[in-house]
Amino acid sequence: MALGPLAFSAPWALAGLAVLPALWWLLRVTPPVPRTIRFPAIRLLFGLDARQSAAAHTPLWVLLLRLVLAAMVIVGVAGPLWHPGPPMSGRGPLMVAIDDGWAAARDWSQRRAWLDALLARAQREGRAVLLVPTAPPADGSPIEVRGPMPAVDARAAVQALVPKPWGSDRAAAAGAVGRVGHAAPMEAVWLADGLDDGSGTRFVRALQALGGGVEVVTGRTARALMPPAETADPGRLDVPVRRFSGLDDPDVLVVRALDGAGRPLGRQEVALAPGQSEATAHLRLPVELRNKLVRLDIENESSAAAVVLIDERWRRRPVGLVAGGSGATAPLLDQLYYIDKALAPVADLHRGDLSELLAGKVAVLMLADVPAILGTTADRLDSWVSQGGVLVRFAGPALAHAAAQAEPGETDPFLPVRLHGGDRSLGGAMSWTAPMGLAPFPESGPFAGIAIPADVKVSAQVLAEPVLELESRTWARLTDGTPLVTAARHGKGWVVLVHTTANAEWSNLALSGLFPQMLRRLVLLAEGMPGKGGGPLPPVEVLDGLGRLGAPTGAASAIVGDPATAVPGPRHPPGLYGEGGMRVALNLGAAVGQPRFLPVPAGIARSSLSQTSRELDLRPPLLALALAMAVADLLVALGLRGLLGRRSISAALVALALIPLSAHADDSDAFALQAALQTRLAYVRTGDAATDAKSRAGLIGLTQVLARRSTAELAEPMGLDLATDPVLFFPLLYWPVTPDQPPVSPAVADKLNAYLHHGGLIVFDSGDGGVSGGGQSERLRALTQGLDIPPLAPVTGEHVLTRAFYLLKDMPGRYEGGTVWAQDGAPADNDGVSPVIVGGSDWAGAWAVDAAGRPMFATVPGGERQREMAYRFGINLVMYALTGNYKADQVHLPAILERLNR
Amino acid sequence: MHGRHQAGPGETFWQYRTYQPGDPATAVDWRQSARGERLFVREREWAASQTVWLWRDASPSMAWRSTPALPEKRERAELLVLALAAVLLRGGERVAPLGGDMPPASGGSALARLAASLPPPTGNGSGLPGPERLSRHAEVVLVSDFLMPLEDMDSRVRALAATGAVGHLLQVLDPAEEVFPFTGRVRFSGMEGEGETVIRRSEDVRAGYRDRLAAHRDGLAGIARAVGWSFAVHHTDQSPQTPLLALHMRLSGSRSGGGR
Repeated sequence: MALGPLAFSAPWALAGLAVLPALWWLLRVTPPVPRTIRFPAIRLLFGLDARQSAAAHTPLWVLLLRLVLAAMVIVGVAGPLWHPGPPMSGRGPLMVAIDDGWAAARDWSQRRAWLDALLARAQREGRAVLLVPTAPPADGSPIEVRGPMPAVDARAAVQALVPKPWGSDRAAAAGAVGRVGHAAPMEAVWLADGLDDGSGTRFVRALQALGGGVEVVTGRTARALMPPAETADPGRLDVPVRRFSGLDDPDVLVVRALDGAGRPLGRQEVALAPGQSEATAHLRLPVELRNKLVRLDIENESSAAAVVLIDERWRRRPVGLVAGGSGATAPLLDQLYYIDKALAPVADLHRGDLSELLAGKVAVLMLADVPAILGTTADRLDSWVSQGGVLVRFAGPALAHAAAQAEPGETDPFLPVRLHGGDRSLGGAMSWTAPMGLAPFPESGPFAGIAIPADVKVSAQVLAEPVLELESRTWARLTDGTPLVTAARHGKGWVVLVHTTANAEWSNLALSGLFPQMLRRLVLLAEGMPGKGGGPLPPVEVLDGLGRLGAPTGAASAIVGDPATAVPGPRHPPGLYGEGGMRVALNLGAAVGQPRFLPVPAGIARSSLSQTSRELDLRPPLLALALAMAVADLLVALGLRGLLGRRSISAALVALALIPLSAHADDSDAFALQAALQTRLAYVRTGDAATDAKSRAGLIGLTQVLARRSTAELAEPMGLDLATDPVLFFPLLYWPVTPDQPPVSPAVADKLNAYLHHGGLIVFDSGDGGVSGGGQSERLRALTQGLDIPPLAPVTGEHVLTRAFYLLKDMPGRYEGGTVWAQDGAPADNDGVSPVIVGGSDWAGAWAVDAAGRPMFATVPGGERQREMAYRFGINLVMYALTGNYKADQVHLPAILERLNR
Repeated sequence: MHGRHQAGPGETFWQYRTYQPGDPATAVDWRQSARGERLFVREREWAASQTVWLWRDASPSMAWRSTPALPEKRERAELLVLALAAVLLRGGERVAPLGGDMPPASGGSALARLAASLPPPTGNGSGLPGPERLSRHAEVVLVSDFLMPLEDMDSRVRALAATGAVGHLLQVLDPAEEVFPFTGRVRFSGMEGEGETVIRRSEDVRAGYRDRLAAHRDGLAGIARAVGWSFAVHHTDQSPQTPLLALHMRLSGSRSGGGR
């Protein structure tokens, strides 16, 4: 039933309005129940009320209130709808196709609300519903049409539907729709994600074949984040972002880098111009942070495609490079040139002496043609490898020479195999006639799965002694079977030998694309890369359709073979796979590709999620209003029976009136009271959170020390906003000078001048260890423009500041040796206290203590004595501010004593 | 407690007289005797005590208060009765509950026994007890709301007065019973089975109620006057000191006036 824009989902309930006249009559004759009072003096009351027997009537306005209440309940129960959705054309069952792949996840809640509204309409019209989710279910079962079922069941099913972290399979869905038998034409609605997986048209045709017309509704399509590409710049991460819908509009999104605890490590905005479908976010991350990175995502977008999980492949490992022999004359002949080029995008390279590198922290060491390693260096190298280091050695003339010179039975411990002595393995006099290519890599080694270019030829190598375990230690071999790469475990680490040179001298391996791939696999050895590749990788954590990591469920199974070729789907949801400590990330973004925007054939009704107007269900507000009126009626009834005391009503009114008053309490008075009731130090808030926290902690530390050592027991320090807060109350104002403070405004300058003229003391601290010239910097000058600062002079040993409490020779803060400046000569007014003290020793840094009372910052050059001196200076400073030149008399003490003696 | 103007057992000093043979040695006032040649004996004035019969109404209508801030009428009545008993006992008088089974007693323990033997609250509104145990020329203090019918009251007071007793009526009322502050439609129900009545607008009957209460009180005062008793009114929102003081004054006054 519809009345203009108003419709009722249960119009029969309106028949209840017919009982309203009866209700009127009932309410009229039934007076409110009187309250009962027990009363001792009732004998005196008998017969007093002459009209006692007359029937009491409910007042008219109460009657009307109750009738309106009843009418509201009746209308509310009838399910009124404002602007109901258009009635559906068909009458038979309704086919609802829902794209629940990753691309629908971005506006999933809107989609679900839209579906709910649609199914509510179907429920009102009493139609059966068939549901087709087009993404393969998570349990690995095939796509099937669910139903026909009552619309109310379909609503529950839709509420339980979640987007899947893989794409839709329209071809399978079209097949499922085609199998639905239907006697009458069936209307179809498709809530599409807007991407064409190649079978979109086929799916539409299948829906059209139902014969009842098709409506395609599209929403916003999810955006995809691609795994970052390797870049030459180690501090940068290039993350490509791709969008698929709304290409005509500009778009701005934010790519976030998160660590394992979910803390953001970096944010980068990416702007997409109209027509642009792909852009790259250049995230700048220092290497230390980059190694903490576990996840990249698009801010405020919950979809599996908007998440890139970062695994070991993106970690940059420190690799040390050592070259043997003399330095090369030309870069291309350099032993390490090719290693450098191959590893620079994926690792941090450090060159240097072997002992230097061992002193640092490297995960992999690459020694190019280094002969025997001797002495203490050898011991240190041995323990380093045993603890998990990967030592990769390249052969070369020097190594071959060393092997040839070696005594029989003497072995180099840092070689996986014993090398064949002599020169038989060298040069053109070898046993083969032509340079030889590589045999396919064994499946068990770390190089498994790398394709071998045909043009890689090795013309010279060192040979290994044929021993029993040579076979198992060989990771790569030439076509004739001689080992090219051998490796052996050494403790927890690896010792690897490449039997040819790291440059192009003995082979063109270093020139080929194979060389970087092999080297990167070797670098991966350093941390948990499975020793024997190719094993199945079970899922550890998988993403759901909204981009949240969770335990693997459903049909998720281990990846067999190269993880790079795995396609995300119900069997392999995107997520982290691996065993032990090793993780390989399977990202959806890499598998998304470049799908087209969904073409809709002619003759198909098409609409957008954002265009459809939401119908407004008036039932909840109506019933809520009825409830409010019922409460009002209850109050009225109580009032009529005299149960609401006048006092309780007035108290409620007063309480109501007080609420806004208390909310608007004036806080400037509170500040003044807090500042004035107790003496306390204050600092200027600079707007830089770290500096402000340091100032606060510093003054807290100083206040504590003051309370311990002197009678000055001050209250907790306060931070001041110069623009708004009054400064008048504080004996001492600590003002850290930071580069980005704006100069004070004229009004603030007036305020500060008044403060200085009336005995205030401002301590300027540039906090840079006096680098900026004792605080006389341009910065300070610019900052304090407009302030009435007298001429300054360095504080000498005669100044009161050095003897106000302690006798001080120097006045260090966190830094030592800075000059402290005060007014030149003792001022005549204000007790001879200089209005400003200027220094740069970062006193607050030295005074700062944390909540447990421990110092927060180390002193430079250091030592507890320096911190103690800093505290002593702080105490002197406060005493100077509080007591003025009272201690200046000490200066005259010798003269006074002399006069007394006389 | 009041002196008999002759020597006898008592507390207050009466006179010194010279020692006569037969007086116990302990009766000699040695301090006085040391001043002169003769021995003196200290005599005290003979004090006699009077029995005061106390009664407080224990009917259900007394167990009422209009707001939780006020004491119930019975609490106040008990307080007044016991406080009066305490004052009297300190003065050496004897007290007894009217309607209870405790004989007249004096001394420190009498107060506790009196409190324990006050008649317990009764279920119906039976009013004043009869004069059965009353000694002749006793003093009677009756504390109640006296909301019973006047003729009933009259007959019982006359029965008590017939024994020669002198009585004092103290009416204890809740302020709500005095001013009748109720408004709106109220069903009033009695506390002693009187029935109930619905008042449509309670504020309309206020004046009528007050008139009736005043008439009832006039009737009570008349009953008291007819037998020479006193009548006073106390409200539970007032301090209990005032009626207590007045009662004590009247008790002393009646004794001196009566010459007993």
